[in-house]
Amino acid sequence: MRNPLLQVENVTVRFGGLVAVNDFSLEVTQGTIHALIGPNGAGKSTTFNCISRFYQPNSGRIVFDGTDITRSPASEMAGCGIARSFQNLELFNELTVLENIMIGAHVHCGGSLRAWLQAKPPAVMHHIDEVIERTGLAPYRKHKARNLDFGHQKLLELARALAIRPRLLLLDEPAAGLRNREIATLDRLLTDLVRTDGLTVLIVEHVMQLVMSISDRVTVLNFGTKIAEGTPQQVRNDPAVIEAYLGKEAAHA
Amino acid sequence: MRILGLLAALAGLIVLPLVSTGYVVYLANLLLTFTVLCLGMHIVIGEAGQFSLAQAAFFGIGIYTSGLANTAFGWPFPLSVLASGLVAALVGLCIGTLALRMRDIYLALATFAFGEAMQWVFLSWTSVTGGPNGLRIPPATLFGLEIVSDRQAYPVVLAITLLMIWATVLIARSRLGRAFRAVRESEVAALAMGVPVRTTKLVAFALSAFFAGVAGAMFAIYSTYIHPDSLGFQTTILVLTMVVVGGLGSISGAIGGAIVFGLISELLRQAPSYQEIIYGLILIIFMMFAPRGLFAFIGDNLKRFARA
Amino acid sequence: MDLQLALLFLQQGVASGLVVGSVYALLALAIVIIFRTSEVPNFAQGEMLMAAGYVALYLFVFRAMPVWAAIPMTIVVAFAGAALFRRVVLTQVAHASGSPVNLVIATLGLSYVLKGLVRQTGFGDTPRSFPALVSTDSIMIGQASVTRLDLAILGTAVIVMAAFFWMFGYTKLGRAMRSVGMNPKAAQLVGVNLNRIHTTIWGLSGAISAIAALLISPKLLMTADMGSVVTLGFAAAIVGGFASLPGAVVGGFIIGIVEQLVGLFVSSRAITLAPFLAIMLVLILRPQGLFGGRVVIKKV
Repeated sequence: MRNPLLQVENVTVRFGGLVAVNDFSLEVTQGTIHALIGPNGAGKSTTFNCISRFYQPNSGRIVFDGTDITRSPASEMAGCGIARSFQNLELFNELTVLENIMIGAHVHCGGSLRAWLQAKPPAVMHHIDEVIERTGLAPYRKHKARNLDFGHQKLLELARALAIRPRLLLLDEPAAGLRNREIATLDRLLTDLVRTDGLTVLIVEHVMQLVMSISDRVTVLNFGTKIAEGTPQQVRNDPAVIEAYLGKEAAHA
Repeated sequence: MRILGLLAALAGLIVLPLVSTGYVVYLANLLLTFTVLCLGMHIVIGEAGQFSLAQAAFFGIGIYTSGLANTAFGWPFPLSVLASGLVAALVGLCIGTLALRMRDIYLALATFAFGEAMQWVFLSWTSVTGGPNGLRIPPATLFGLEIVSDRQAYPVVLAITLLMIWATVLIARSRLGRAFRAVRESEVAALAMGVPVRTTKLVAFALSAFFAGVAGAMFAIYSTYIHPDSLGFQTTILVLTMVVVGGLGSISGAIGGAIVFGLISELLRQAPSYQEIIYGLILIIFMMFAPRGLFAFIGDNLKRFARA
Repeated sequence: MDLQLALLFLQQGVASGLVVGSVYALLALAIVIIFRTSEVPNFAQGEMLMAAGYVALYLFVFRAMPVWAAIPMTIVVAFAGAALFRRVVLTQVAHASGSPVNLVIATLGLSYVLKGLVRQTGFGDTPRSFPALVSTDSIMIGQASVTRLDLAILGTAVIVMAAFFWMFGYTKLGRAMRSVGMNPKAAQLVGVNLNRIHTTIWGLSGAISAIAALLISPKLLMTADMGSVVTLGFAAAIVGGFASLPGAVVGGFIIGIVEQLVGLFVSSRAITLAPFLAIMLVLILRPQGLFGGRVVIKKV
């Protein structure tokens, strides 16, 4: 068993009186793809936003690679090696594809005055070109993000996150709204990133076809509580999961 | 092609004082000063998408700092130009640190109120500003030489302007410029990319104050007189209008806007009430129909015309 | 300064402060309802007030219209003008570019157009005084001296605010406005016509500014620059947290009292600095404002 890269320990998040996430714990193993699924409003995105430090949990601990990050600001996550994508695209719309990805490499541009003022720091350009190649965005380098079609915008979100050179990649519904062909590309790309580059991925996704195909482990949330965890196969046959998704009758049928 | 155009413009600027009257040189100095003011506004609004409405106040701080440095301390002007920029940036840093702790619009409101307050300070601090009587600005000096005429000041003003344009281009192309634009386009995404959003806004704001301070020092080199009345909100709006006419978010737009609209506003000086109506209408009409500025608007329409 | 005098000043400051503060509260209310629903700080609010004041002056003095006709007419004109601006100009600005900065610039443009127009009519160049509709005889309250006009101003402002809060809290229109402020998309889904609500809110904000103009004009010398009183409205809104309506009202009263106290205890020239100092103090001590609760979290 390899070490856990990310540990979420007993995290609880309340919004006013509403408990969005309740005493939730999770371990993501290094070099695996871990999916977080559950019906709408189950608290998946809230958990995500806690890990990427956009929300502050009311209690609990988040540990990344042995370091407690529960109190760290969101802007330090990229530097730690945690990258995220956004459920509803958050691209830099008026900027080009290349610029979007270069901002992803922000933390690698170095801190010296010279590095701050360099237009194309050679240290990062090589990696950026590689990311562009790999995500198939090369023909669109100079296009404005807002002029791309939806599928490519989703890819750009991913490419920008990869430019961070993360150790942990948090993907919030990367396949939502994509066509089958595009999902297949995403599937190949993610698998390749994990198998050859040793990346660790935590993914929130509703597209079950993708979840079942790429995940090493699946955690199911409902009403802010973990109801099941295991391999895709185990989770698929878990009565509690079937009940959460389809209702009581289906579980007993 | 572009290089040739730039070289031609530069050559024109260099020979300008040799072939023209005193008024034209004075106007050129003024337009170059406005160019630097516009570059400052461009950095904070155009690049970083933050609203600063105290450009005139920072301009004033630059003028008085420079006046003080020239008379009280007898500094050579390169030093007083730098000091003007730094003092303005420092004041900006203090205001910005407070204003940026909360909502975005607080920067607009705090700088608006700060501008009004500074005008009061300019009117009341008689020992430095001359108060309501205005201030006779002492001539700038360099190695004991005094700069007394527009013509003598022109090369210096031009050199500073070119330096500031160069700095703006450098900043825009750098990691810092990318961080500015990231903040403008999406704060949450910028945070996730490791851009410290609040610090970045603050840097943009302080930089724009620095530019305005330097513009103040430039003004002090060729001008002989300043009255607090010309350091009010009206001047901030004038600079904003220039940047809007040129096109928010583009450096060439900021420069072009300063020059084109600077000339227009010089023509309008005779009719203050028309001046207000025209500034206002320009702001409204450009926001409605040409939010990317005059030059982009013309360019787009030429393209459409060529295609038709 | 001996204690006796200080006490006298304190009473006078609070009394006069409540009177002017009530007008600042109206202005802050007008600013905050627009901000809550469209995230735009309206920099033309002061000039809307100024222009409405001149409309009233024109109708009263130059047209000799009776009070009962001139007041409603002023309010209607202000409502229509503001609504029209929102409908014609801001809709197009939002259509041309998504950036909120552009909307703010458009309001700055409006403020300049209004100022220039009033100057152009020739009324705005020389300071003019607005006739008081209520006698300016003084009454003593404690040791503070206030005029009947002052009491009328305070009374009217309070009634208008009460009416506004009733409308906002208990009518169908008010509910629609609140829902637009909280979640425009959801409001649209349940059948609220966003465009109409925004237009109504702008109109309402214009009408409130007009009432503030009618109240404050007799106490000021009218010039085309009197719109700068908006700084105090903004200060009041910031004190109140900028998104809270009750906060705006309390902020208005606080700013009014602070302003009068500064005038009495420091100097009348320092009054100009009062709003700036109030804004800075709030930003230093309690940046979310006195009434700004928790910060709204953007959903990502």
